[in-house]
Amino acid sequence: MRRRPVTGLLAIAPPVIVIALFVGLPMVSAMLYTLGDTGGLNSTIGSIAQHQHTPERGWLTLDAYREVFADESFRASLVATIVVTLVATVLVTILGWGIALYGRFHDGPLSRLLTGVSIVPMFIPAVIGAYSMLTFYAPNGMLRTIGLALGWDSAPTLSYTLTGVTLGSVWSNLPLTVLLISSGLGGVPQTLIDASRDAGAGPVRRFRKVILPLTTVPTIIAATFSAIGILGSFTLPYVLGPTARNILGPLMDDTYSAFNMPQQAQVMAVVVFGLALVASIAYVWANYRSARRSEVLR
Amino acid sequence: MSLVWKTTRTLAALLLLFFVVGPLLWLGVLAFAGDWRSPDLLPSTWTLQWWDTVFSDSRFLDSVVLSFTTAPLVTFISMAICLPAAYAFARFDFPGRQFFLIGIFATNAFPRFGLFIAMASLFYTLDLMNSFAGVIIVQLVGTIVFMTWIPAAAFAAIPRSVEEAARDAGAGALRVFFRITLPMAAPGIIVAVILSFLAAFDEAQGTFLVGNPDYVTMPTQMYQLIGHYPRQVSAVFSVLLSIPSVVLLLLVRKRVTGGAVAEGFQLR
Repeated sequence: MRRRPVTGLLAIAPPVIVIALFVGLPMVSAMLYTLGDTGGLNSTIGSIAQHQHTPERGWLTLDAYREVFADESFRASLVATIVVTLVATVLVTILGWGIALYGRFHDGPLSRLLTGVSIVPMFIPAVIGAYSMLTFYAPNGMLRTIGLALGWDSAPTLSYTLTGVTLGSVWSNLPLTVLLISSGLGGVPQTLIDASRDAGAGPVRRFRKVILPLTTVPTIIAATFSAIGILGSFTLPYVLGPTARNILGPLMDDTYSAFNMPQQAQVMAVVVFGLALVASIAYVWANYRSARRSEVLR
Repeated sequence: MSLVWKTTRTLAALLLLFFVVGPLLWLGVLAFAGDWRSPDLLPSTWTLQWWDTVFSDSRFLDSVVLSFTTAPLVTFISMAICLPAAYAFARFDFPGRQFFLIGIFATNAFPRFGLFIAMASLFYTLDLMNSFAGVIIVQLVGTIVFMTWIPAAAFAAIPRSVEEAARDAGAGALRVFFRITLPMAAPGIIVAVILSFLAAFDEAQGTFLVGNPDYVTMPTQMYQLIGHYPRQVSAVFSVLLSIPSVVLLLLVRKRVTGGAVAEGFQLR
C-alpha cells in the first residue's frame, strides 16, 4: 500500500465530513443532552421538551438515566430487546448456516433456488416486509389459513407478539447472513476437506476441525450485523410488535412523539448504542484476527 | 440417497420457501382480493378496485414521483463523494485510515431514531426542516457505509500488478484508472449502487421527520396507509413499492450471491 497521506485524506474527506456533520455531531450532542446539557444544538429541543432533567449544580447530571432506569416499562422493554436480539441472532445464524452448507456441498437447482430465495428480503423495503408479515401471521393470515387446511387447528397468531418480531428479525437478517457465511464456506479449500476425509475424519469431525475454524470470522461478522440491526430496529417492531412490552425502538418513538420527552428517548438511544458497541467488539476482534491471518498467509 | 433424507430435505426447503416468500405472496393475493372470508385459501371474488383507489389519488402518485427523484439523486451524490474515498481506503496508506474506516461503521450502530431526533435540532438551525435538501441529506447518510465499504473491497481485490503492467506499457494514471481499475471493480460498485439506491428508497423514519408534510415519499406514505385504509389498499401500494426492488434483484442476483457484498463487510 502506497503512503499517500495528503491524497488519501483529501479523497476520504467528503464522506467523512458528511458523516461527522450529520451523524457524529448529532450523536455527540444527543449524548450531552441525555446528561442535562441544553445549550448549543440542544437549545431548540431543550426549549420544547417536557420532564427534562438539567443539572442543579455543575455541568452534567445522570438524573435522566436514573429516571429511565427506574421505569418499569423501560426495564421490560430492555429485557425484551436483549432477548429478541439474542434469540433472533442465534436462529438466523443457524438457518443461514444450514442454507450455506447445503449450497456449498450440494450444488444443484434446489440449492441455487434456496440461496436465491433467502436473499429476497434484502430487496424488500422494510415497511413492506413488516406489513407482509403482519398479514401473514394475522388471525386470518396465511399461516393460520394453511395450518387449518392441513388440519392444524391451533396454528398460532403471531401478529402483535414478540415471537412475531423475532421471526420477522430472522426474516430480514437472513440475506446478509447467508451471503457472508456462503462466502466464508466458499473460501474453505476443497482439497483440505478431501484430505481430512482421506485421513479418516467423519462428517462431524470434518465439520468441527476443518470447516468451522475457517468460517468463524464470517460467522461472527454476520451475527454482529444481525444483532446491531435488530437492536436498533424500528419499523419491524413498530408494525408487527405488541403495543406494550415491545422492544426499545417503538418505546423511543412513543417517548418522543406521544409524551414529548426527547431527553428520555435519547437516553434509550444511548443505551441501545451501548449494547450495539458491546456487540461490535466481537466484530472488530474478528476482523483483526482475519487481517492478521491473511498477513501470515502472505 | 435415502428416502428419509430426501423427504426431510424437501420439507425443509418448502418450509423455508413458505417462511421467506409466503408473506409476500399473501400480500400479492390481497392486492386483488374482493370478498375473502377467513378460513378460505383464496378470495371468492377478485377485483381491481383497490388499484383504482391508489391510482386515482394524486397523493399516491406524487409520492411515487418524489421517491423516484430522491433515490436516484441520492445514489448519484453518494457515488460522487464516496467512490474516490473507497479507492483511497483500498490503495493508499494515510494517518487515521483504520480509524475512519471503523468510524464510518460505528456511526451506523447508533439507533437511527435517536439520531433523527438529534438531527432535527441541527436541521432547525440550518433551516433544512421540511425541505428537499433535508430529505436528500437524511437519505444520503444511510448510503455512505455501502458506497464506501463495498467498492473499497472491490478496489482492494484488483491485483496491483495489473495496474502496474498497464503503467509500464505507457498508460497514464487516469487512463489506467478508467480503462483497467474501474471496469474490474465494476461488479462490486454496481452492487453498492443498488444497495444504496434501495437504502435511500427505503428510508422512511428520517424522511418523515424532515420532509413532512410537503415531502412524502412512497415508504412514508405506506406508514400512513397502514391502519388508516382497507388492507387491500396497503397491499396494492406494497406491490407497487416492491417493483423497483424486484427488478433490481433480478438484475444483480448473480453478483450479490457471487460475494461482492460479503467481501465488503470485512475490514482490511
